[in-house]
Amino acid sequence: MKTKIALLILFISGNLFAQEQKMTDAEIATFKQDVNVISKKIKTLSTDFVQYKHLDFLSKDIETSGKMVFKEPALLSWQYKKPYNYSIVFKNGKILINDEGKKSAVDIGNSKIFARINKLIIGSVSGNMFDDKEFTISYFKLKGQNLAKFIPKDVTLKKYIKQIELTFDKEEATVVQVKLLESSEDYTRIVLKNKVINAKIDDSIFTN
Amino acid sequence: MQKSTIQFLLINCFLAIVLVSCGSVTKNYTPKKLDKTSIEVPYFANSRTDYVYKTNITVYGHELSGIFIAKKINDTTHRVVFTTEFGNKLLDFEISEKTFKVNSIVSELDRKILINTLEEDFRLLLKKEYQIQEQFENEYFDIYKSVDGDRDNYLFFSKKGQKLEKIVRASKAKEKITITFTLENDNFAKKVVILHQNIKLTIELNYFKSE
Repeated sequence: MKTKIALLILFISGNLFAQEQKMTDAEIATFKQDVNVISKKIKTLSTDFVQYKHLDFLSKDIETSGKMVFKEPALLSWQYKKPYNYSIVFKNGKILINDEGKKSAVDIGNSKIFARINKLIIGSVSGNMFDDKEFTISYFKLKGQNLAKFIPKDVTLKKYIKQIELTFDKEEATVVQVKLLESSEDYTRIVLKNKVINAKIDDSIFTN
Repeated sequence: MQKSTIQFLLINCFLAIVLVSCGSVTKNYTPKKLDKTSIEVPYFANSRTDYVYKTNITVYGHELSGIFIAKKINDTTHRVVFTTEFGNKLLDFEISEKTFKVNSIVSELDRKILINTLEEDFRLLLKKEYQIQEQFENEYFDIYKSVDGDRDNYLFFSKKGQKLEKIVRASKAKEKITITFTLENDNFAKKVVILHQNIKLTIELNYFKSE
């Protein structure tokens, strides 16, 4: 009896807190249309971010933060400012790293996996990665937000990332959170805020 | 007869030189009476602490960086994870004095020689208790020797302050691994450097406070 009551409570509270609701086909079409219209307009994008690394065995998430800048077609800079200075620039098939003043470069011209990761990061931030060939995608509604879950089809990519979840602001149709799941317990959650779209951004930002 | 005596002497001299250089790890230290038989190292021993360090690895001229995370998950075992700055897990393992289990590793790092090296390094770094057999001193340190199979571990305590500042792992002939600690307080190291003498590998860990 006690177990039954416990199960019932669990069921009810589970339902109360389950905010995710599957989109209908019509809703999916509208949502994708909205995101595509916005992401096509994005020529430049800069945003602050806070990254939370969650490992299930730790008592607290590891928090780092900084600024991300993107410029069409494929210039990307991730700059961590707290608690350390580390920046990484994707530019012309190269990754340029500046680690507390220590500089290095990696040529990724021929690396398929890095090309894919680059595309993935840009896609995540701009929201435009609804590629059914690359991912199995499912769509959900939340309060004031939309959620798309991407499961990679590529075996190599799947080894690193089990699932990507992009949360969109419903009004603006832009990404507010990126969640990269390595397993059910461990993930990286990146919250984007103070987003500025199409401000003039000089190419010199993408040096390291 | 005389010839063989000279040969014998030469061999003896040769042996003496070999033996002296064999004993090079402790040759500059003065033996001392043992004042304790066991030592506890507190730097990674608190099961309530998330040990999170920015890490820079230099291996044969190549630089790697990322985040090193260690946590004591039970009485005998630590969980250790390396991630990139982006948070991608590169290596995840569980290690105790006798066991070592890899939970996950990216294929680029999945090399036996590398895994064995890291296993030895982190077993030494995370080891909590050392049994002491001999004691030495030099100008700056009290040095405790702990035998560990065919290796010897030397623990260097500063004479000023009696803090563990260095651990040297050596064969009978020479030093193999040196770990140096820069301390935040008695129980916590804010910087750790693991230096290999026989291969070109250095691992530097710098503690960072999450926001």
